[in-house]
Amino acid sequence: MPTLSHFLLAVVQALALFAVAPLISGLSRFERAKMHTRRGPSIFQDYRDIYKLLRRQDLAPGEAGRIFQFMPVVMLATLMVIATGLPMLTRFTPISAVGDLITVVYLFALIRFFFSLSGLDSGSSFAGIGASRELTMGVLVEPIMMLALFVAALLAGSTNLGEIGIAISSGTVHSAAATLLAAGAFAFALYIELGKLPYDMAEAEQELQEGPLTEYSGPSLALVKWGLALKQTLVVGWFIGVFLPFGSATEMSFFGLIGGLIAFVIKLFVIFGVIAVIENSVARARFRLTPQHSWLGVGAASLAFVFYLVGL
Amino acid sequence: MHEFLFINGLSGLLIITALMVILSKKAINSAIYYAAQSFVIVVLFIFLGAQTGSGELYLWSFTAFITKVLLVPFIMYTMFRRLDDGELGSGQVMPAAFSAIGAALIVILCYAVVSGVTLPSAENLKPALAISLAHFFLGLFCIVAQRNILKQVFGYCLMENGSHLTLAILAPNAPELVEIGIATDAVFAVAIMAVLGTRIFGKFNSLDAGKLTTLKG
Repeated sequence: MPTLSHFLLAVVQALALFAVAPLISGLSRFERAKMHTRRGPSIFQDYRDIYKLLRRQDLAPGEAGRIFQFMPVVMLATLMVIATGLPMLTRFTPISAVGDLITVVYLFALIRFFFSLSGLDSGSSFAGIGASRELTMGVLVEPIMMLALFVAALLAGSTNLGEIGIAISSGTVHSAAATLLAAGAFAFALYIELGKLPYDMAEAEQELQEGPLTEYSGPSLALVKWGLALKQTLVVGWFIGVFLPFGSATEMSFFGLIGGLIAFVIKLFVIFGVIAVIENSVARARFRLTPQHSWLGVGAASLAFVFYLVGL
Repeated sequence: MHEFLFINGLSGLLIITALMVILSKKAINSAIYYAAQSFVIVVLFIFLGAQTGSGELYLWSFTAFITKVLLVPFIMYTMFRRLDDGELGSGQVMPAAFSAIGAALIVILCYAVVSGVTLPSAENLKPALAISLAHFFLGLFCIVAQRNILKQVFGYCLMENGSHLTLAILAPNAPELVEIGIATDAVFAVAIMAVLGTRIFGKFNSLDAGKLTTLKG
């Protein structure tokens, strides 16, 4: 049963992530510009973009329905719910009911569902095709994610993300090879989920892949952009919470939380640095190539499951 | 207990490196992965030696390091570097994902076989034993599921690594002479196969096993 301080922690970490998400996406834009030896925008550019869009008029196509209007709010709200449940500063989940692996996977699926539905609802055929691509991507990624997390859950004996993280960090999982392989497969699935090259480009709303964004404008587009930035941060935080909980606070204490915060920020920076290197050193893969790659991820995850069964 | 965990975990790493050998596109990259895999085997021998208290295994790990980590990959790297068949591509018969899932199935099957056998000397190392058996079949799988003759040589090496590990687990006190027999066998076999591969490439200008249908002097 979560106490008041757990609730406070959950709300604070969700709001803090919400506040810094554009900074992190701005940072990856900045890194990309540096790797292209361009000057590039400042790291605060995404805040400016969002501020500018928020003051514009909100236009919707005549054919668009309610779903189209609700989607940005639903997306952001769901992301905030996920943010309250993930173990980030601490090893345990602040609100354990939300920090369950099945809940989190399906909350992400809910976002995807509304995202594609809004594309269909906008009445634009271009957005409709983009929506179908988005769903195809979900079908390819979710099996890897689920299988890898189930292996970790079986090893830890619990589906709670915090419990899995605690088991991994304390070394009570009796299967090193399975854990490592599951972590690798999960990282791969999350990389696709991040929406980065070579599979996707989350900020390219002119392209087919992010087609559902085509008809958005003004404040709605601002919210969706904010949501996408928050989603990228959360996805990385999810990986940190489950497979890299080292350095996080083990109990609720002021200094523990400060230490956890510092460790979390360092891990976030390192991971986004690695992502930037990968993202900027690959060309875009053809969409039809993605299933071949994702099946390899499924293969790795099933090998991890076998390693668990064998007891390696 | 911790040692067993480590040995079993390392043998899991063997399967992963074996898959990398099988799936890598170029034969010279496979040679590098093969060296990495042999290094894992060397470390495994050292841990097995510490666990069983067998002095022979340390000697084994030393000779295995010389032959398998240095000599065999060096031979393959220098010989295979000059052979390149652009037409053949990776030479895989099936998609990479199937290979990974196939490896998973092989491991499961071998575990089922090993768990039915009672072995007092290797009771805690059954997962590692299953892996060593699976490794042998993974090598066979590499030969069957590959049309590139150079990659088939790697299949042979994987089979050989698997049998080497099986021997180390089941007979940790076997004399060094056995080990030298295995190691020299591996080196000469690889050298002969590399020469054969070079000759075939010289005659046919191809590395595709499917094209070796005519006799040419």
